[in-house]
Amino acid sequence: MTDERSPAVEARQLVKRYGTVTAVDGVSFQARRGEIFGFLGANGAGKTTTLRMLCGLLRPTSGTALIDGIDIVAQPLPAKAKLGYLDEEPFVHPHLTGREFLDFVADLYGMARGPQREERKARLLNLFDLAQKDGELIGSYSHGMRQKIGLASLLIREPSVLLLDEPTNGLDPRSARLVKDLLEELAARGTTVLLSTHILEVAQALCRRVAIIDRGRIVAIGSMDELRVQTGSEGANLEDLFLKLTAGPESREMIERLLEGGS
Amino acid sequence: MPGALPVIVRAELLAARNRLVKRNPARLVILVITLLVAGVFLGGGAFAIGATAGHFLPFALDTLLAAGFTGLSLLMLVVGFPTVIASLFVGRDLLQLVVAPVRTRDIFVARLMTAVTANLLLSFVLAAGVLGVGAGTGAPWFYFPMALLLIGVQVLVVTALQAILMTVILRWVPAKMARDVAAAVAGLTGAGLYLAWNLNLRKTFGRRGTAPDISNLTSVVQRIDWLPTTWPGHALSATLQGNTASALVWMLAALALAALLVATAELLYARTLLLGLGVFGVTTTGWRRRKPRPFTPISPLTAGALRARAELPTRWGAQGSPYFAIAKKDWLGFRRDVRRLTRLLPAMLLPLGYAAALSQPARNLSGFWSNVALVTFLSMFMSSALATPSIPSERRGFQLLRLAPLTMWQLLRAKVLIALPVVLAAMLVFSVAVAVASKSGAIQLLELVIFGVWLAFGFVSISVSGGAIDPHFEATDDRRSVGVLGSLTSIGGSLGFSVLSIGALALFLFGEQAAAGAANLGPIPSTPAVGFAMILGGFLLVAAGCALVAVMLTFANARLRAFDGSISET
Repeated sequence: MTDERSPAVEARQLVKRYGTVTAVDGVSFQARRGEIFGFLGANGAGKTTTLRMLCGLLRPTSGTALIDGIDIVAQPLPAKAKLGYLDEEPFVHPHLTGREFLDFVADLYGMARGPQREERKARLLNLFDLAQKDGELIGSYSHGMRQKIGLASLLIREPSVLLLDEPTNGLDPRSARLVKDLLEELAARGTTVLLSTHILEVAQALCRRVAIIDRGRIVAIGSMDELRVQTGSEGANLEDLFLKLTAGPESREMIERLLEGGS
Repeated sequence: MPGALPVIVRAELLAARNRLVKRNPARLVILVITLLVAGVFLGGGAFAIGATAGHFLPFALDTLLAAGFTGLSLLMLVVGFPTVIASLFVGRDLLQLVVAPVRTRDIFVARLMTAVTANLLLSFVLAAGVLGVGAGTGAPWFYFPMALLLIGVQVLVVTALQAILMTVILRWVPAKMARDVAAAVAGLTGAGLYLAWNLNLRKTFGRRGTAPDISNLTSVVQRIDWLPTTWPGHALSATLQGNTASALVWMLAALALAALLVATAELLYARTLLLGLGVFGVTTTGWRRRKPRPFTPISPLTAGALRARAELPTRWGAQGSPYFAIAKKDWLGFRRDVRRLTRLLPAMLLPLGYAAALSQPARNLSGFWSNVALVTFLSMFMSSALATPSIPSERRGFQLLRLAPLTMWQLLRAKVLIALPVVLAAMLVFSVAVAVASKSGAIQLLELVIFGVWLAFGFVSISVSGGAIDPHFEATDDRRSVGVLGSLTSIGGSLGFSVLSIGALALFLFGEQAAAGAANLGPIPSTPAVGFAMILGGFLLVAAGCALVAVMLTFANARLRAFDGSISET
């Protein structure tokens, strides 16, 4: 059952192991209703695996994933009805047109047919500049356009929780800005957005709180100010904080060495 | 870049080696054994036929050789086309070569080596036959290298011709679509040839002691004597007859033609690449799948019109249905995915051909039971072709279904309900056709139709389950989208269901006759008690059939629910 006081998204000690490799190791966090929550990490840190456990695509080795207080493993259908998940490579059907794909998703989720749905579909296609591509199959879309039709397929049914894995990946600057504005608007209306990205400018601009994951573990969680306090880095931006927390190699030094070697 | 040819060829060879090495060792062993067996049987058979013809039909050698080369050329032209298109005009690796500072001639020559592979494989059979002719006639030693050279030349001629044809076709049709259509034609030709061979075998074994009649072949070859495809045949027959001058003339003509065609192909290929055709998926005529609907932005007026349209009662009701959504998506996908469609066509040709071939009632079977066997066979084959890949063919879209509030039971049910009408319709048409053809009465027709409906339900459910038990979502080819476990379960389940169903039908029909005291059951008395016992046995077999289907679906559901992988983009 949904509890209005419960967090919109909650990960409790999530663990995912593949044989001897632990991809996610005891990840816990909560995203509140109407919040844009950033989930940051380097490539292979465990972001996508965590997101896939939260949306029910992957079964956790242990731990619990809750959407609006509903355990997605124990009660998958009501939990899935509340959430929308956008993969970094959106799941689309290449042999459908954008309009047909939106209809397919709407029917799949049992959305009522009628003027509202038709209007919403037309508005979304317009909003994402896909209306002019009507009649063309998704298979012929560019990566950015697939991303946009993937987003439109989430928004057509207004889920209360959005789990987005690199949603601005491959988008042109105008579309990326559109997505950012849209997410802020949705959050203002009460939708919870869990945003996984490694574009730190996007995270800093949009997210009220962020969690940083490194090698399968959460290394920091909180607002920008809280992260600065945790790391003792006053005035630092998110990029500095991220690099400090994930202890990456000194890139400037590496670049200099590379250029010296090449000249 | 001068000297790019060896670099490209080395990379191609390296890639081929890696593909082989990275294969599952068991599959590699199976591949080698299959090739060896096919080589021994096909090559050995063709050599033996050639040697026999060479020995016993010396007067017809020119006709046979000319017909052999022409037949091979036609076969290569149809069957080898997809490989030529894929090698020369499609493929992302080709893009890299096009953008690199490499002469198009180097690209052409390098890719030609891959393009000829299918045609070379096909030519192996003719090579064995032509060498057999030489052995059978006691030909001079130089006949053998000359035969191999001329077969190689013929392979080049056909491959160059295919490349030339494609440079023209690509102006109107995108390369990938041309490849898919060519694959369909090749598949249909292959299936047709296989079928023709099987039917011929049936006829051959039914007719003994008659001499081969080649008068028709002779008259056909005389009419096409001028065709360049016959020239290598004439060259070889002239060699066998000791007419060296004539042999040289024919051979030089064949070589000149090959040089001319290869040079033309190379020139046109360079122009095609420069125009951006083929590899970039461009056509000069702007190929479109269909004209897009004109889009009008939403205005209050349009919104009103939409509202009015949407308020009209629809057949499916106001609530969106996941079943309908999946069915519509599958139908659209099937209609638009030329590759899926083209792979299904040859699969459909085989059962229909076999059904036609087997429609003669066997000696010791009545017409009705012959029809029962046919309906069972066709239903099983169609269900397997249509329903087995239905879940794996979702590919990455399966994740979309997993994200939706939809149980795997619902998905299985949807897939069964989507495939069922097609199989049912085909079964009904076929049942009526065979019943009418065999002049069965109305009762027998009704029995056959009910049996067909029962079979369709069972086979479709079993086939969908087989695909769901071991799906390979990453496979781009439907024929490889189900793993060994799924295929074996599907085939085993279908065979079991056939036995149970035919057994039940037999018990019902003979039981009814026994109950009326009219059955001939050998030592078993034909009494009402025996009749009722047989009918009861029939019901037990029906129950067993239902249980088998239920077990398959339950297993499939469990496997789909346990699916926990990611599906990479293919």
